[in-house]
Amino acid sequence: MHGRKKHLDFELNLVPFIDLLSVCICFLLMTAVWLNVTSINVKQAVGGQSQTETEKKPTVWVMLAENGDLTMDFKSAAKIPANMQKLRVAAEAGRFNLDGLSKILQQIKVVEPELRTVLIHPKAQTSYEDMIDVMDRFRNSGMNDLGVVPL
Amino acid sequence: MVQSILQVTAMESELAAVSVLGPRHNRHKRVLAADLLLTALIDAFSILVIFLLMSFSSTGDILYINKNFEMPKAAYGEMLDRNPVVKIDENQIFLEDKMIDGGGDGLFRALLAMKQKAAADRPTEESPTIITVQADRRIKYQVLNQIVVACAQAGFSDIRFAVLSK
Repeated sequence: MHGRKKHLDFELNLVPFIDLLSVCICFLLMTAVWLNVTSINVKQAVGGQSQTETEKKPTVWVMLAENGDLTMDFKSAAKIPANMQKLRVAAEAGRFNLDGLSKILQQIKVVEPELRTVLIHPKAQTSYEDMIDVMDRFRNSGMNDLGVVPL
Repeated sequence: MVQSILQVTAMESELAAVSVLGPRHNRHKRVLAADLLLTALIDAFSILVIFLLMSFSSTGDILYINKNFEMPKAAYGEMLDRNPVVKIDENQIFLEDKMIDGGGDGLFRALLAMKQKAAADRPTEESPTIITVQADRRIKYQVLNQIVVACAQAGFSDIRFAVLSK
């Protein structure tokens, strides 16, 4: 029985693959969301606990002045030296000096790693974008418990 | 002898005929049908599908952004979930795309009504405390303040400012 050799290799019909992939690409392109929307989370204190019950955590109050100056006031942060308890980041070309703020925050984080709570105190004329920029810098430094002080 | 489709096309195609492997005596049998190398096409399609699948968002559009509406940008935002949306567009306040009259007070009443409705519809669940705020990057804090205050008074203690990822 020496029959002819059978060819064991076969060829895949690639056309259905291409059809499937084309349909997938069309569907995904049509349903794609190109804008990546995220959020900056802010917790507002609504009261409920008395002052004695509340654990005193290191907190920084940040005042956003209308001329672009930033003033940071540290509370319950014993590790931060007395001369650094109040810091001012001067404006740069009439805007908030965000790079200067980041540098200071890096130094503060080394001194007081437990500092996570930030209360932002904007003025009436502070723009929403500037407020978000400042919050973003604090988040970058690992201070994620953000709050906004109402006017 | 049975020849595979690839072999046949390689022997008869225009491309194969001019190559060094192509038998010259077959020149008179040339077929002018073009051969497509489908493997490269499938590779490219697969890469496209993988890329699109990676960037696919199953949650869909959470926020509707108008043409002239510019949201602020932030690099360290968190993922946005589906929550009630308060939007400020041209100094008008919208709650879930419904215009609210009466500024902050109107919003406070609308938020309370929404909370009561949620409590009546789902009595076993906790009332919502998270709200998403969508505002133009150019607005001043005095406009935003009324929303912050209304949300806090209505019991929405977690405010999520929607931003575009940098």
